[in-house]
Amino acid sequence: MGLAVYLGKRGVRLVLSLIAVSILTFTLLQLAPGNFADLQRVNSGATNFGGVGTESMVGELESRYGADVPVWKQYLIFMKGAVVWDFGPSYKYASRNVQDIIAEAFPVSATLALLAVLLALLIAVPIGVFAALRQNTKTDHATMFAVTLGHALPSYLTAAFMILLFSATLKLLPSGGWNGPEDLILPVLALSLGPAAVLARYVRSSMLETLREEYVTAALAKGGPRRTVIIRHALRNSLIPLVTVAGPLLAALMTGTVFVEALLRIPGLGLYFANAAASRDMPLLMGTAMFFALILMVTNLVVDLIYGLLDPRIRTVGGGSHDGH
Amino acid sequence: MSEDALLSVRELRTTFRRDGAEPLTAVDGVSFDVRRGQALAIVGESGSGKSVTMRSVMGILPRTARITGGQALFGGRDLLAIGDKELRKVRGRDIAMVFQSAMEAMNPTLTLERQLTEHLLWHGLCTKAEAKKRAVRALGDVGIPDPEKRIRTYPFQLSGGMRQRAMIAMAMVTEPALLIADEPTTAVDVTVQRQILDLLAELKNRGTGVIMITHDLGVARYFCDDAVVMYAGRVVERAPMDRLLDDPRHPYSVGLLGSGVEVGGRDLPLRPIPGSPPDLSHRPEGCPFHPRCARAELPRCATEQETLTIGPGRDAACWKVAVDA
Repeated sequence: MGLAVYLGKRGVRLVLSLIAVSILTFTLLQLAPGNFADLQRVNSGATNFGGVGTESMVGELESRYGADVPVWKQYLIFMKGAVVWDFGPSYKYASRNVQDIIAEAFPVSATLALLAVLLALLIAVPIGVFAALRQNTKTDHATMFAVTLGHALPSYLTAAFMILLFSATLKLLPSGGWNGPEDLILPVLALSLGPAAVLARYVRSSMLETLREEYVTAALAKGGPRRTVIIRHALRNSLIPLVTVAGPLLAALMTGTVFVEALLRIPGLGLYFANAAASRDMPLLMGTAMFFALILMVTNLVVDLIYGLLDPRIRTVGGGSHDGH
Repeated sequence: MSEDALLSVRELRTTFRRDGAEPLTAVDGVSFDVRRGQALAIVGESGSGKSVTMRSVMGILPRTARITGGQALFGGRDLLAIGDKELRKVRGRDIAMVFQSAMEAMNPTLTLERQLTEHLLWHGLCTKAEAKKRAVRALGDVGIPDPEKRIRTYPFQLSGGMRQRAMIAMAMVTEPALLIADEPTTAVDVTVQRQILDLLAELKNRGTGVIMITHDLGVARYFCDDAVVMYAGRVVERAPMDRLLDDPRHPYSVGLLGSGVEVGGRDLPLRPIPGSPPDLSHRPEGCPFHPRCARAELPRCATEQETLTIGPGRDAACWKVAVDA
């Protein structure tokens, strides 16, 4: 019951936030110089504004892309569609609706993101625990140095390097495309290194904090085997705050990774978003921006729910009170 | 050492490693005995080494600490020499520990059931089903109402007093021969203090040896038979509790009694000891108390510290007590 009320409140807040995001994005895009019609005109060779016939051409383009309607009306038209998840056709990919593009490209980005974060966690947790247990030793310092290096490397550089190594030199993996499972390996590897480094740092510091807790000492005082105490008492509690870091990381990757997708020719959402921005494709830009905002907010909600699931202290705040006073 | 001693600590020395400095001696030649059914108070201000002494015996010191000498005989074996694997079998089974705050010493994300049964299973004392029965019984024994239901809750769902009692139940569920209580009443309300002390007194009467670490003589006198007074890592006086209260000999013990408000209910003016306990990295030569001692006589007090036997089970580390006698 407490949960339903909580979810209801969060839902209302989510909708209000989405409206705020839509107004902000719409305004900013209106303020940005140039529009799709201008770009079309330029690209079609009509660079001269004073030429014969350009007036009718401008008028025609304006009416086609809705620029002859007042801005506030444009916004309302957009919102009317957005409510029923209909953003209309894209300007650039005129034969396709924006929501169809999202529906097609998002699973690609989401698959990559999920696998990358999963791999990042698999790398980060053991490394973080390993370093924490050897705090301030040479092993710890060396590990953290490597982690910093991994953090500093941008994913597109890692991707380029891996293409050179695995595709060009060793000829083991395809250098790009999106045809089979083997195409997943390079992008997932490239995308996971940065998050792995971030997460490893968190695991280490969180673990160090937990290891200093009295209940870890108390568990040892009860005769607990070191490994059991570390896993059951220290690691478990150290991983709870990690959810708040891993969630946004996942959301960021799910909304597409422009460079890696471009480099490896992956038809993900990031690529569409970047192209839409470059060509001032208003419907696609608004649609993807709204979708990103939605993903981010839903992820945060899920993170909070998982947090409550993992930490009983928070769970009871949402549910009924069990205070024993 | 006496034949019937349960735990016999002899000349224990524990040091802490420091960056770029000599190791710090936190415990310096501490000796004492505890028998079955006896309660021993280890009294001292914070930093006097009383907690480190007991954590040395339990083998739960932080990584920077090292035991550099001494013995801790328990059941015919030297706990300091048997190695961590063997010590682990004793820890939590034969010697249990109660901490200052159950809020910190109990894992916030595990149920009481898990925390009260896990060490029974670690030590292979019984089956899982039997462990739960024993845990429920232990909770009932410390006066927690409705233990079958309470065992499913988390520590934060209990009141402060109940939580502290649950921690004692956690220590007692394995029926240890010796219980070490590290300031078990410092973090709780006065009303709860009384409950905790009554509980410990009951355990003592049932034959458990109890070592009570405290800075509060008022708490120590409540049920302890004997006292060891520590100052700057050394034992300064050892005496039966009532003798110490009536007739403290070491100038530090005298000062400690004079600075306590509710000790013995005597109408003595409150006289705090001038100065403050020494920083262990600059411990005075000779008797570490001499710079604060009203009766200090230089140069002898600044060069040597001699422990003199005053009577049966009584000694004091001050050559001047002999002059008085």
